[in-house]
Amino acid sequence: MVQYNFKKITVVPTGKEFIDIILSRTQRRTPTQVHKGYAISRLRQFYMRKVKFTQQNFHEKLSTIIDDFPRLNDIHPFYGDLLHVLYNKDHYKLALGQINTARNLISKIAKDYVRLLKYGDSLYRCKSLKVAALGRMCTVIKKVTPSLAYLEQIRQHMARLPSIDPNSRTVLICGYPNVGKSSFMNKITRADVDVQPYAFTTKSLFVGHTDYKYLRYQVIDTPGILDRPFEDRNIIEMCSITALAHLRAAVLFFLDISGSCGYSIAQQAALFDSIKSLFMNKPLIIVCNKTDLQALEGLSEDDMKLVMEMKSEAMKTLVGQGGEATDGSNVLLTMSTLTEEGVIAVKNAACERLLDQRVEQKMKSKKLNDCLNRFHVAMPKPRDQKERPACIPQAVLEAKAKQAEVDADKEKRKLERDLENENGGAGVYSASLKKRYILAHDEWKEDIIPEILDGHNVADFLDPDILMRLEELEREEGVLQGLEEDEDFEMDGAELTPEEQAALTEIRKKKSLLIQQHRIKKSTAESRPTVPRKFDKDKKFTSERMGRQLSSLGIDPSMAIDRARSKSRGRKRDRSSDGVESMDVDGDKQNKKMRLKSRSMSRSRSMSRPPGEVVPGEGFKDSAQKKKAIKIAKSSSKNRNKEARRGEADRVIPTLKPKHLFSGKRSTGKTDRR
Amino acid sequence: MRLEKCWFCSSTVYPGHGIQFVRNDAKIFRFCRSKCHKNFKMKRNPRKVKWTKAYRRLHGKDMTQDSTFEFERKRNRPERYDRNLTENTLAAIKKIDKVRVDRESRHHAKRMKPKKAQLQREAARELEQSISMVKAPGALQRDPSLTLPIKVKVSKPEKVDNRMEE
Repeated sequence: MVQYNFKKITVVPTGKEFIDIILSRTQRRTPTQVHKGYAISRLRQFYMRKVKFTQQNFHEKLSTIIDDFPRLNDIHPFYGDLLHVLYNKDHYKLALGQINTARNLISKIAKDYVRLLKYGDSLYRCKSLKVAALGRMCTVIKKVTPSLAYLEQIRQHMARLPSIDPNSRTVLICGYPNVGKSSFMNKITRADVDVQPYAFTTKSLFVGHTDYKYLRYQVIDTPGILDRPFEDRNIIEMCSITALAHLRAAVLFFLDISGSCGYSIAQQAALFDSIKSLFMNKPLIIVCNKTDLQALEGLSEDDMKLVMEMKSEAMKTLVGQGGEATDGSNVLLTMSTLTEEGVIAVKNAACERLLDQRVEQKMKSKKLNDCLNRFHVAMPKPRDQKERPACIPQAVLEAKAKQAEVDADKEKRKLERDLENENGGAGVYSASLKKRYILAHDEWKEDIIPEILDGHNVADFLDPDILMRLEELEREEGVLQGLEEDEDFEMDGAELTPEEQAALTEIRKKKSLLIQQHRIKKSTAESRPTVPRKFDKDKKFTSERMGRQLSSLGIDPSMAIDRARSKSRGRKRDRSSDGVESMDVDGDKQNKKMRLKSRSMSRSRSMSRPPGEVVPGEGFKDSAQKKKAIKIAKSSSKNRNKEARRGEADRVIPTLKPKHLFSGKRSTGKTDRR
Repeated sequence: MRLEKCWFCSSTVYPGHGIQFVRNDAKIFRFCRSKCHKNFKMKRNPRKVKWTKAYRRLHGKDMTQDSTFEFERKRNRPERYDRNLTENTLAAIKKIDKVRVDRESRHHAKRMKPKKAQLQREAARELEQSISMVKAPGALQRDPSLTLPIKVKVSKPEKVDNRMEE
């Protein structure tokens, strides 16, 4: 589980990149426009948002960095040590600590500046505060740039670490450089590890996987270890030491018995001695490699002795495991990776040993399950038939009895809810809320209390002595009324009689009529030619009318009518005027027409001419020519009349540039022609 | 349920009508209709707006101080219901209203009284001056009173047979 996280650590950007990313995000994700005309709260909000947004983003990103990088104490000690070996625990922690501090500093900066922004009183001030805040945050990040770079390096290296599962079956290969570990690795797994003649070809741990008895085994190839005091070891050697120290694995110690690695068996044995402490509790197998160059039996005495010593050491581990019988063949093996003889045997032996050890350990930890089956409660056996009931004190019994009484009472009392259910349930029955009113008389309970009367609130008038005050009021009123009557008798002197009143109304009526007529006349004088009175268009000037008007003024009109008649041009011809009063309006109209006609006609001698006839004269040859002349005259005046012109000479243009023709858009079409 | 008074025009606001505005200092302004509300929003002073009760009272057009106004006072303590008292109160409200209305009309009449004399004088003058519009001088001579003249009937004209052609 843990190893996979190393590949999933987020990329740590460099300082400059980091700043760029955050600032550009702030610019993109927050509103950008603000004008100094906005309300001050809006300006403040705008800038506060920017500051907060930036701080939040920094916080987020830094938090992810801090969280993604593994804590050396929380991961498997193998990885902890490995990371320590590779990167130095202190530096690592320091870098992460600096990032953490940066995060806190940024939060503080943001808080301070937001607080200041709350009191910014102008756009410029708020903007400067925001610029200052962001600037400080970026400076913090700039200071932390080296840590970021260091962490990025670490991250890249960590991602390339081999994914070793410290808890699963592992086989560890160790020994001097150049003894054949990597070639063995290549043989049993699919890993393609570099094999070269020079020492320290393998510089770091490599993992391969191999199968045995349907189980997967990790095979770890380590860089060669030299025989040096512990303090002098370099990082590469430390890697293998760490692996040896922390992984619960089967260890294959490789011996090059031919000495072609450049180191003698004695040196290798010395190495074995110095690191045998690391082989505690691990199934150890000594592997003699390169037997094609030198067979095991062909070794010299000393070498043989050394090898046997190693073997006995390895046997000790074997004995420590499960007390197996001395099976020397499983501890010391020979093989040759070049000819591939004994390679599979070595692998099988290693896997077998490891499997056995693991199974035993698992067996030992199965105690827990067994225990659970054995729980039970022991009951004492009765020793005689005596009853021994529980002992309750008297006071408690009394209290219980009282409580029981109260409960019974409660149950006896009828609840509102029961009442409701009796009377039809929730929707049907509505409880009378007035049931528990405390009033002077109980029959008032169901009264509907009046609240409003005639536009007044009854509650405003409620008063215990209202009757008394009302009486006072009425008395007052009576007094006042008496006074009133006295006053009223005074001034009725100068009143007009009803007849005079009638005359006055008539006068006023006439005055208003005159005003109306004047107004009409006034408005139309310019636009219409006024017909001179002699043409009498409205036929207002008749003698009947004059007679009526005179009589309404109180004068006898008969003399005036006679005079008017005698001066008139012709008398009317009675056609159907038997018994028709001259005052009759309808008859008048008919007679008027006839009278007009008769007047014009009475001038000339003959009175029977058809209406359209034109009499020749006035310089025309005959009626036809005169008719034509009349027609031409009419046609010429027709157009003039249509243009509302008074005559030929009338060239008045009321408005030279009417606005509606010279301005405005058109709803449809273009306005390039005006 | 209460009938409130409109803050602007002082008319009664019945339930379901009008708008209430609560200001930040928790003062409540009630309006009977949008006319008053809009006038308030325009920051008009009701004492200067002719049609409001505030103006009328301030300028003496309506009765200001009267004992009938003492009866109606908002009491903040609820009273226990008493049937007799309520009955009396209801009857009293009617009587108080009548008295108040009477007094107001009296006030109005008193206010209008000086105008009446002036109007009468003006009417007399107008009649005297313009009587000639309705009464001819001749008629006036005959009957010097300032009243409408008696209408004279027009005699029928003689029917002259003026037929020229038969």
